[in-house]
Amino acid sequence: MTLAAPGSIPWLLAHEMRLYWRNFRAGRAGKGARGLVSLVVVATMLLAGGVATALGLHEVEVPINPISISLAALASAVIFTLMLSQTLSASSEALYERGDLDLLFSSPIGPAKVLFVRSLGVAGGVITIFLLAVTPLLLPSVIWGHPGWIGVFGVLGALALASTAVGLLLAMALFALIGPRRTRTVAQVMAALVGAAFFLVSQARTILGAQKSNSLFAEIARQAQEGRLHPAPILSLPLRAMLGQPAPLLALLAGSAALFALAALALGRRFSDAAAATQGKTAARPARATRGEARRAFAAGPFLATLRKELLLIGRDAALLSQVLLRVLYLIPTALVLSRNAAHGTAAALAGGAGVVAFLAGQVAGSLAWITLSAEEAPDLLAVSPARIRTLRRAKITAALIPVALFLVLPIAALAWFAPAAGVWTALGAALAAWSSGLINIWHQRPGKRSEFKRRGGASWMATIAEMLVSALLAGATGVAVAGFWPWALIPLGLAGAALLSLRRSDAQIARNLRTR
Amino acid sequence: MTEALIVRGLDKTFTKPAVMDLDLTVHAGELYALLGPNGAGKTTTLRMVAGLTKPDKGAISIFGIDALADPAAAKAITAWAPDEAMVYDRLTPLEYLEFVAGLWNIEPKAAKTRAEELLSKLGLAAEARTRCEGFSRGMKQKVALAGALIHDPRLLILDEPLTGLDAGAARLVKDMLQERVDAGGTVILTTHILEVAERMADRIGIIAGGRLLAEGTLDALRSQAGEGQGGSSLEDVFLQLTAGDANGKAA
Repeated sequence: MTLAAPGSIPWLLAHEMRLYWRNFRAGRAGKGARGLVSLVVVATMLLAGGVATALGLHEVEVPINPISISLAALASAVIFTLMLSQTLSASSEALYERGDLDLLFSSPIGPAKVLFVRSLGVAGGVITIFLLAVTPLLLPSVIWGHPGWIGVFGVLGALALASTAVGLLLAMALFALIGPRRTRTVAQVMAALVGAAFFLVSQARTILGAQKSNSLFAEIARQAQEGRLHPAPILSLPLRAMLGQPAPLLALLAGSAALFALAALALGRRFSDAAAATQGKTAARPARATRGEARRAFAAGPFLATLRKELLLIGRDAALLSQVLLRVLYLIPTALVLSRNAAHGTAAALAGGAGVVAFLAGQVAGSLAWITLSAEEAPDLLAVSPARIRTLRRAKITAALIPVALFLVLPIAALAWFAPAAGVWTALGAALAAWSSGLINIWHQRPGKRSEFKRRGGASWMATIAEMLVSALLAGATGVAVAGFWPWALIPLGLAGAALLSLRRSDAQIARNLRTR
Repeated sequence: MTEALIVRGLDKTFTKPAVMDLDLTVHAGELYALLGPNGAGKTTTLRMVAGLTKPDKGAISIFGIDALADPAAAKAITAWAPDEAMVYDRLTPLEYLEFVAGLWNIEPKAAKTRAEELLSKLGLAAEARTRCEGFSRGMKQKVALAGALIHDPRLLILDEPLTGLDAGAARLVKDMLQERVDAGGTVILTTHILEVAERMADRIGIIAGGRLLAEGTLDALRSQAGEGQGGSSLEDVFLQLTAGDANGKAA
């Protein structure tokens, strides 16, 4: 039985949803019970948080005053920004990843309809993520005492539609300005930056220090009390909608739906042109060599040639760069805490921060090592060459460690400036953690595609756990050494060494493992 | 006569036997075409010669080097180009050739000159500094072929080298292969385009079900198939020789 006429929007939407569901199922294949258990644990924790919130707030009435209006507007802006980071990236993927676009565009279905459905998919994807996180937290309060708060779901829907429209417009504008491939790169880096900006704002207390962040909040509160905080009337819409007032909620939903429809329908033709432009030669940015590049001599020997090739591939992988950038941006608060504590001589906090740096070095190096070692695109080319496998591996590991060293050099140098011994211990710990992750990736290679980096879908589950364990042990050793108890650091160091020894595989074992895959 | 490749008693079984007790001899300076229906064992044989797949049994000698005992030495004088081009989308052809030259440890200055020569010869000079990701299948094949030739191998092994090439590109590749053979190089290729083998190959081997059915010049194959000298085409001979296999195994 056909629920919708073939070629109609609902029919196309059903097709997209079926594909999305099957891709999701395929992506989760083999994760089975483990994935389900994690989902249940997280949902239970969120629900517990929701019940606790409902218990605490069931008799509290949210006032509509300048402070609450400003906070709700700010929260909406933050959520909108977060959603935009997702929709911008997803919109550029919709243009860049061709998939079945050729089939759809060669059919009598109009491009506007295709874009409309794709955009609905983008909005649906982003709202699903937020609903999954918000529903268990909010639902208990909606059921017990605050039925009007159901408006929060409506506000989330409106924000999802508006952020999809803006993401689409931005992606299309970038596409026209800088071309398809750069759009993808910029969109992914922007998405990472927006996500990281949100994280950095959430870490304001850590970055500014408790005193400064308290005084900032006190200043806002004082302005409100003195009657100097006058948010524009339109800024009260989100709060009123969240509290379930029908008119503001409808206004928000209608406004964002109109923006969404306008963007999707108006950009339909441009979308098909843009998507067509990603095909064939026009997609290839003529990567003209600079004069220096043209004169540059070829690298000599397998080590240097492989190192250069891996660094070029890392540098040109937008998705990889944005993910690594994101992880490095997460280091900023830690680095700032480290420097501040180093300046003030707070040994305990300094030790924790040093440990975090070492741990992150291990994690980032592990990810990059997986890319260089396991996500090799032409393994047969290396296999038919006379180059020694150990030489190639050494080059690949070096290529994975160079970006980590570059990212860490500044925070560690800053730390060493204030506390030289702590700087040395942190550098040692980070180097050891990064090297260990590289070794684990050599011993437990699991070939996969570069595109799987985000999920590390191709990485061996055991290697991932082992990497985390060894990084954590080395982070512990670094922290203990920085705190001044360096002989005690030998215990986690020894445990990490033992773990590495147990994970070690000979060349023959590695080859056998790769052959049996 | 110097032998470029001697294969003796080669066996390989995956879930079922792919190559069985295969003997093959390729003379230096000849173009040898290995033909067979799909699933006959051609690619498996060539992958074993290139050092990509380990045989269960047998011996492989490349210009007198025991390829199983000293694979690095054998690989140093061999090149392998599969039907799916082994190129990196995010590298330019010139960067790709730099990498391949590095793997074969070619002196950088000579490698750069040779890379530019090859790209120019293959009609890729204008795209030498453009990333491969927007290239057609044929262009990628040409980049891969340049990679196979950059170290001037004594033995060039090609699996379906003309797949995906347009008429002009196919002619260019055929001319380049002929040039190599005329200059004393040795080429082994597999192809489903029998006219190519008929026109270019000095000798032809026909394999089916993992076994070598017949080997020799076209005239010798005609005799083995019981066809008259000069009368029938390679297609007739091929179909005649593989008739038993075609019923069940050709896919």
